[in-house]
Amino acid sequence: MASTAKKQGVGSVLWDYLTTVDHKKIAILYLIAGGFFFVLGGIEAMLIRIQLAVPNNDFLSAGLFNEVITMHGTTMIFLAAMPLLFAFMNATVPLQIGARDVAFPFLNALGVWLFIFGGIFLNLSWFLGGAPDAGWTSYASLSIASAGHGIDFYALGLQITGAGTLISGINFVTTIINMRAPGMTYMRMPLMTWTTLVASVLIVFAFPPLTIGIFLLMFDRMFGSSFFLVETGGNTIIWEHLFWIFGHPEVYILILPAFGIFSEIFSTFSRKRLFGYSAMVFATVLIGFFGFMVWAHHMFTVGLGPTANAIFAVATMAIAVPTGIKIFNWVATVWGGSIEFTTPMLYALAFIPSFTMGGVTGVMQAAAPADYQYHDSYFIVAHFHYVIVGGVVFGLLAGLHYYWPLMFGNMLSEKLGKITFVLFVIGFHTTFLIQHFLGLWGMPRRVFTYLDGQGYNTANIVSSIGALLMAIAVIILVINIIMTLAKNQRVGRDPWGDGRTLEWSLPLPVPYYNFAQTPLVRGLDAYWIEKKANNGKMMPAESLEDFHMPNNSFIPFVLSFGLFVAAFGALYFASGKEWAIDAVADLPQHPWALWVLILGLAITFGSMITRSLKDDLGYYVTKEEVLRDLEEEEQRREN
Amino acid sequence: MAEIKQEPMSKKKLEYVRRERTKEMRQQVVSFGLMIFFTFIAFGMVAMDIDASFVIPVVIGLAFVQVILQFFYFMHMKDKGHEFAKLFMMTGMFFALSFIVTFIYIVWIGSPI
Repeated sequence: MASTAKKQGVGSVLWDYLTTVDHKKIAILYLIAGGFFFVLGGIEAMLIRIQLAVPNNDFLSAGLFNEVITMHGTTMIFLAAMPLLFAFMNATVPLQIGARDVAFPFLNALGVWLFIFGGIFLNLSWFLGGAPDAGWTSYASLSIASAGHGIDFYALGLQITGAGTLISGINFVTTIINMRAPGMTYMRMPLMTWTTLVASVLIVFAFPPLTIGIFLLMFDRMFGSSFFLVETGGNTIIWEHLFWIFGHPEVYILILPAFGIFSEIFSTFSRKRLFGYSAMVFATVLIGFFGFMVWAHHMFTVGLGPTANAIFAVATMAIAVPTGIKIFNWVATVWGGSIEFTTPMLYALAFIPSFTMGGVTGVMQAAAPADYQYHDSYFIVAHFHYVIVGGVVFGLLAGLHYYWPLMFGNMLSEKLGKITFVLFVIGFHTTFLIQHFLGLWGMPRRVFTYLDGQGYNTANIVSSIGALLMAIAVIILVINIIMTLAKNQRVGRDPWGDGRTLEWSLPLPVPYYNFAQTPLVRGLDAYWIEKKANNGKMMPAESLEDFHMPNNSFIPFVLSFGLFVAAFGALYFASGKEWAIDAVADLPQHPWALWVLILGLAITFGSMITRSLKDDLGYYVTKEEVLRDLEEEEQRREN
Repeated sequence: MAEIKQEPMSKKKLEYVRRERTKEMRQQVVSFGLMIFFTFIAFGMVAMDIDASFVIPVVIGLAFVQVILQFFYFMHMKDKGHEFAKLFMMTGMFFALSFIVTFIYIVWIGSPI
């Protein structure tokens, strides 16, 4: 148990993390793995910008460039942004609602291992004959034709991580609905919890279409079906619809938790209650709902017809209304507040203009006739980087600084943090602002090079210099993290001094059982209320008694590993087969593929059976242990 | 390894639970019987070669009733504490329906307007 065993060997720490079902440790796993993939995606971004820095460049070949842009997009969305958001959701949400863990701790662990194995599988494509090269949207007309196994890595890798995400989504919905502490009504939940709830609901509704789309693609590429093969009666537009029915909610899945992080930061560092709390909740739900009604705005140029385009254009513009409500509420929260310019607050303040610019270009593209001009140009690239970097990545960096003490018990250096902030924000605007103009001047996206004398040279080199600044910023951030962990200066309860929500009422490091006694919540910003009315101590909602906790388990790791193995079997199954599509028909046959597939599925189902048949009733944390911890904490506070 | 700590039920509580379960069982059997009966009617009408313009709406109507019975009596939507499950199913159905309607009438299967 984490609190009693203080000196642990490397092996036992490793084993602890491999088997953990504790949401705080799973948050750290998500953070490490997501951070790794974020750096990977960043390196790919740098390769893109080096290639495009000068005209007629041959730093990357055309084929390799396609692989790099595909992997950059896929990695950043599925393997970096979403897991990093899950890291913060895991770290905060159970604490914010006063729960001892999520509703299904086992599934939480399963989610993280599925994501990690899926991500590794996807990235192994670099070493096993070429990465996917049909763009992160992987439109079927391209992906069916793509030679080699690249797209198979995409389909199988995303299927595995997608299963993990779906599981985590269900888990968070259940947790937030069922595990709130007494007094924590829906309209008293912190905004981070609300946005997590809505994002998880979106995951539950949006991931099944992606799963189906990828299954159809898998069957086409690996098992000889023809859903997307036009010559045998298939239809490639089905993929586009399925992908965007998932894909549009997906961007709200990314941005809503970032909104939640910003809402917390704004009210904490303005020392004010969030302005228009109920309007914020309403806007969050509305954005989630509208998110499902607008997918075809990614397909205006497919030829849906003017009526369809008009309907989707209007629906898309409607989303600007709830988003505007949010922007104005944040501004009003800061207005008249006693503002403290910490690193997270700086990111939050920079987020408002950056994200609004991305929103404005979004409304421009929603006008369907105009979109025919913008389509497939750098204008689109600039738009979605403004919303995703200016919204989600700023949110992640702000959240990293803000929640770091909660997760690790020490503070990231504010000085280095501010240097990172300045470099990152300047680099971001330098990179992407000029890309709007590149797009309007006619530079198409997804081209591996451009000719001299078209007027693109200066803008591209400026953009590449900006990317370099962002890379330097991230390197300084990594140095900051390493230095902070090495120094390890512990901080106590409520390290920012202005914590408003329940998670800051806990001692740091947070005990593995979170709350010695489930707290009683008396209003919005529960901890702030107790600070003002009750010496800053949460009132308990129950007497101190033994309580039940789940056991660690190695099964999630093994179960996910089974799917990882099975994926290799599925991948090589169609190689060189007579019925296979042209892309893989010429490759050498792999007779072992079927056996690997069976072996992998056997491992997975074996783990499921073990889980079902073996009774694992968990254990009780005794009253004596909790009392001992509370005394220690009391002594530490007095010293 | 600890056992789950459980207090034995009081006699009164036990009686109450038993009574509730009997009621639940009765409801399930009745609705199951009804559903079988509806299926017979549907099959019977088709077998008797009744006019299609009459059979189709009736069968769809019966199917609708059956779905409601299924949701409320077998999937516990009649019970308390299922408001969220209800909301989720409704939302899911609404999304699915709107996707289908969009596909048929606006974007794809029919001629685009």
